[in-house]
Amino acid sequence: MLITLEETVKMINEGKILHIAADDSLLGKLPKGKWIGGTTPYFISEEGGIFTKEKLFVNEIDFAADIKVAVYGKYNIFQVVEECYDNGLTMMIMPYGSKVAAKYAKEAPEVEELLMHPIVGWISGFDLGGESEAKVYDGTSGESYTDRAVVMYIKLPEDKTAMINMINIFTDDKTDPVIRFYDNDLSVSKCSVNGQEVNFAQYIKKKGLDTKMPLVADYNGSYINTSIKEVSKDRVSFYAPVFKNIEYRFAVDVNDYSGEFRKRISEAGAHDPIMSCNCILNYQYGNLAGQKIPPYTGPVTFGEIAYQLLNQTLVYYEILG
Amino acid sequence: MDTAAREKLLKVLKGELKYTSTNLAFNMLISKMQKKIKEDPANEEMCMKEMDEFLTKYPIVAKVDLANIAAL
Repeated sequence: MLITLEETVKMINEGKILHIAADDSLLGKLPKGKWIGGTTPYFISEEGGIFTKEKLFVNEIDFAADIKVAVYGKYNIFQVVEECYDNGLTMMIMPYGSKVAAKYAKEAPEVEELLMHPIVGWISGFDLGGESEAKVYDGTSGESYTDRAVVMYIKLPEDKTAMINMINIFTDDKTDPVIRFYDNDLSVSKCSVNGQEVNFAQYIKKKGLDTKMPLVADYNGSYINTSIKEVSKDRVSFYAPVFKNIEYRFAVDVNDYSGEFRKRISEAGAHDPIMSCNCILNYQYGNLAGQKIPPYTGPVTFGEIAYQLLNQTLVYYEILG
Repeated sequence: MDTAAREKLLKVLKGELKYTSTNLAFNMLISKMQKKIKEDPANEEMCMKEMDEFLTKYPIVAKVDLANIAAL
């Protein structure tokens, strides 16, 4: 829920366990307490998509049996897989453009045991019209970071289970060309298209492909997006890495983002999300300002984490049992 | 995991049967195991063990998905 600074301070001082997303000008004013946070001034509220530096998006973690908070850099980020509770949920926030986020994005899919522990989170961001930088906050120490991941490990009661899922409005057309990359990377020059090596940037330009549409890869029916950041003369960079040995296709065009979200939400059936986050690219490309996609509210983020880094996706978690 | 479900699950991992779960982690795990088996069929046993561990840890997933897989 989007609430005022005063209301947030009150909840912290009452000892509530909180996940907070807000502009840096507000997060920096919060007292120490049982919370973690990340910067963004973009949200999907009950009233629709909104840009605000006046309110904070707060989720109360009222189902925890216990919590612990930790901060990691790029050299120890994968300790999250070892230090998490056996029956728990790991909530992680990393700053956009940080080395720790890049390391996690590139290597997480190969980490043993990753899928055995629910890890959900997001990449913090900033006002795209300003000059601020992405930060994360460890509320227990009051410290903020531009180059660290902040993690809240949530221990669940024995009869509860955390389930992470996503709503992805993009899909592929299986008759489209298959694109493969030669390495796990955030930027590439070459790739193969239906087995033929090409320069990817030149291929995109030649075909007139819409780079607002992500590349999609089919993970046994769950589509994982990789969004294109920039196409230069002979290189293409991405917001999340592409991986070798994965088949990609360009997503089928989506014109009505909010309508497509509502359709997918309806198809997915009833869910009771505790927290969700949606991508800034969906917010921008889909003009989600003022658009409602109930029951999914939360921060608009610069990347989403559902075990691994995702792009242009709505990620949420539920507590079952 | 009963024998029927185990046999069908192995076929899913080998790409001989198609099954998509509503659970993201389960789909990601199936996809990961399919690649490992494709790289080297000798990984079959290790992959089934990993599936077993996941389904034991998440009985909520196992209850629905194993029934569906057994019925394929």
